[in-house]
This record gives sequence, structure tokens and C-alpha cells, in this order.
Amino acid sequence: MIVVYPIGKLVYNSFFDIDKTGAYIGFVHYVDVWQDPQFWNATKNTLLITLITVPGALIAGLALALLANLPFKRKWPVRLSLLLPWALPLSFAGLIFAWFFNTDYGVVNDVFQRVGLIDESVSWLLKPNWAFAAICLTVIWKTSSFMALILLAGLQMIPRSLYEAAEVDGASRWQQFWQITIPMLMPSIIVALIFRTITALQTFDIPYTMTRGGPGESTETLAMLIHKYTIDYSDIGYGSTLAVFMFLISLAVTGFYLHHIGKNAS
Amino acid sequence: MSKAIPVVWSSAALRWVAAGIVVFNGFFPAVWILFTSLKTETELVQKPITWWPEAATLENYVKAFHDQPLLHYLKNSVIVATGATVLSLLVSAFAAYAIARLNLKHRQLILTCIVASSMFPLVTLLVPIFETMRALSWLNTYAALILPYVVLNLPVCTLVLVSFFQSIPRDLENAAMIDGCTRMGALWRVVVPLAAPGVFTAGILAFVNAWDEFLLALSLNSSPAVRTLPVGISLYQGEFTFPWPIISAALIVAIVPIALLIAAFQERVVGGLTQGGLKG
Repeated sequence: MIVVYPIGKLVYNSFFDIDKTGAYIGFVHYVDVWQDPQFWNATKNTLLITLITVPGALIAGLALALLANLPFKRKWPVRLSLLLPWALPLSFAGLIFAWFFNTDYGVVNDVFQRVGLIDESVSWLLKPNWAFAAICLTVIWKTSSFMALILLAGLQMIPRSLYEAAEVDGASRWQQFWQITIPMLMPSIIVALIFRTITALQTFDIPYTMTRGGPGESTETLAMLIHKYTIDYSDIGYGSTLAVFMFLISLAVTGFYLHHIGKNAS
Repeated sequence: MSKAIPVVWSSAALRWVAAGIVVFNGFFPAVWILFTSLKTETELVQKPITWWPEAATLENYVKAFHDQPLLHYLKNSVIVATGATVLSLLVSAFAAYAIARLNLKHRQLILTCIVASSMFPLVTLLVPIFETMRALSWLNTYAALILPYVVLNLPVCTLVLVSFFQSIPRDLENAAMIDGCTRMGALWRVVVPLAAPGVFTAGILAFVNAWDEFLLALSLNSSPAVRTLPVGISLYQGEFTFPWPIISAALIVAIVPIALLIAAFQERVVGGLTQGGLKG
């Protein structure tokens, strides 16, 4: 019920000119969306963020999980360092990293200048490509901890005896990693990937607090566009149509995953 | 023998390096914000930038509370997150009990549906929720946030509670019912207390989710009277001004409660996260 009603409502809304006359207008919004360069730009940005940050967070999260899985005497400092980024609101991560990337007083420019990587301060958030990269980096930082927590739990489920047997057979560390760790971790990786992909498609908080979608519309995501039309412009009909497209994209991605997992399972 | 020594050395050193990397990755942003919040405005505009605050001051904290009603935002966040947590637990306890105990025919299907509903894109819910709240004249009330947060939390809380409820022997409830408890009585007097760790875990997850939520809070509750922390802090920046030391101080004020909460109950949180397998 909770799932079906909103979708029905969205589809219904999308056929009406709600903000002005309230009249039934058929597929006019759909044609508009299709021809709207803002929509394609936001969709492109959303898909790019997903394609960059999901594998990025998986690799960073796997690295963190492997490091955190080493035998420490006191486990809490490491555990807390994975929990803190997870519990930090996305909007705060956006604000904190916007400060990191600040042109004049940001720590990123400072470190890069000290090591001699750059000569002058770079205006990271004022240049489209750099702003996009900065946002992706922030998303990866924020989400890799969650990945690491899920993967760490998976790592701890792998029986030690498997590694001991491999050791006896003379398998190298590298071989053990690819032939035991990764296959045994697959269920956790898939769960983490699915949830991360779904949330990546909804990216809103971090670009909103870091750049407000700018410079220009270079970091505007689909979620930001829906928010802009629905709340800022009160154009609920058009906002709904955008949301229908967003739902279809999410559905396609979820379907893709389920299809492939179904294949793997059988 | 010659091989053993470097291996021992490297494994101890490796552990320290590993811990260093993980801790740095997790804590550096918060620590840097803490440093920034303690710097004076003159120190902040120095070039090259200083790392350690040279003359630590609390004036940014005073300004953070003075420039915006930060304390009020804090109160709003506590009310909304607590309300959402209590209601989420109440509703999900019934759902989880039904799934764990009653002999439902399609239990696996129901669980799958619960997981699937947690994958529903929140942004697409924004439009219908906004319309509904506007129709009910609930915009800019606590309920406008609490209700959607409960809905968002249900899948997570239910999954965590189901696994806890299933671990409690049925005989205990049967004994309680023989002793004259109703099924409801057995649920509240026997099952819930025994599942307290699970209830607690689900509660923390629900609280963190509600504390962190931004999109709905921004869209539904724009009036300062009901504004929550994430939205309030994002508004310290003016059109062209970014009072970073003040924003940093406000961030620290908002991060401390949630950081203390997860520090106190970290094992439970990790357990819940992996059982519920949920959002990042």
C-alpha cells in the first residue's frame, strides 16, 4: 500500500497541469521532459555519479574492511572510525568537504601546495569538472564506511580453516584473496552494491550542500531537479513526471541486479 | 628462521599502519572541523593556513548559538528523531512478531517485500508526501516529518526485530499464555523484554536515520520553528558568505550527540546493520 499509492499518485499527477489550470493535459509533460535539456543533464549527472561512486565505494570499502579485519587487541577505535562516517548526515559530509575544497583556506589546496602538486590554489568547487570530482570523492568517503561494515561482517564469517587448507596447498596470499576471500564475500558484496546503487541514484544531500548543483547545472542530479520543480517552483505535475522517470530508472537498475543475482544463484 | 623475524615485525607494524589509515579516514573530517571551530577569524584568514588552532577560542560556538536558533534546531531534531524512533519500534514490533510467530503462509514473500520496499527511491515519494501533508495542513509540523520517517524506518526495524524474536523460544510465551496472559500480554511482558537488545538496536538505527534525514526535512518543514539540525546548519551560509568557523562549531554541536550514541552502543549498531542489511 505504502509503495503502490505514491506511484499511482505520481502517474496520475503527471497527466495534469497542476500548478496553473489544473486541467488534464495528457502526455504533454512527458514530451516536455523528453525534450528538456535540464532533465538529460541531471540524468547524465546522476548516472555518472552512480557509475563512479558505487565501484569507488566498493573498492575503498573493501580496502577499509580488509584493514579493519586485521587482528587488533582493541577493536573499538577501528569500529568507531567506520561507524562515525556512516552516522554522519550526508548533508554534513557535504558541508565538511566543501570546506576541505575551499579555494583559499581549504586543507586540500594546502596539502597539495605543500607537496608541490600544484603551484596556486585551485577553485575546486567553481569549475564544473573539478566540482563533479569533489562531489564524487565526498560521496565515496561517506558511503565506503557502510560498505566496509557490511563487508567486514562478511569477512568474519569466512572460516579460518579455508585459509589454512590453502596455505598447506601452497597458495599465495594473492591467490587466497581471489579464490577464497572474494567468492566467499560475494553475498555481502551484492547486498552492499544493491543498496549503494539505489541510494546513489537518489543523490541529493551532498551536491545540494556542496555546490547547490553548480557551477551552472554541472552537478545537478535528478533528485535535485525533482526537488526544484516540486518545492521551489510548486510545479507538482512536472515534478511528478520527472519522478516517474526516476522511478523507471531505479526499477531498471533493480531489475538488472535481481536478474543477474537470479542467474548467479541458479 | 631468517624469514620469521621480518614477518613478525611486519605483521605488528602492518596492524599499526592499518589502524592508522582506518582511524584517520574515519576521524579526520570531524577533527578538522573541530580545529576550524576553535580558530579565531584572524587565524582563519592567515596564509598559509594553520593546522593546529593557535589561540583556541569558543567564540564561534557563542556565535553559532546566537546567529541562528541552534538550540531550538537541536530540540526539534531530538523531538522528531525520538518520536519517529518510538513509533517505528511500536509498529515494527507488531509486524515482526506476526512474521516471526504466526504461521503465515508466505513468510518469505513478505520478508522479500519488506526488503524491496526499503529500496524504493525516497525522492519519488517526495511529491506524494508533500501533497498529502499540504492537503492535511501538516506542513511545518513535527508530524509531517515523524510519519514519513516511521514509514522509512519500518523495513529496517522489522528485519532486525524478526531475527531477534525468532531467537526467543516459543515455550516461554506459551507458558505465559497458560498462566493467563493474552497473546498481546505475552508479547509485551515476555517477548519484548527478552528481545530488548534487538529493540535497542533497531531503535538506534531508526534514530540515526531520522536524525540524518535532509531532503524531506528541507522540503516539508521550511519554517524555523520546526527546522531540524541538518537543514538549519545548511542555512548558515548566506548568498555569498560562508562563515566557516561558525558552521564548523554548529556541526560539532550536531555531531556530538550522535557520535556519543554510536560510541556507547557500537557493537549493537554494527550487529543491527549487518542483520538488517540496509541503507548507507
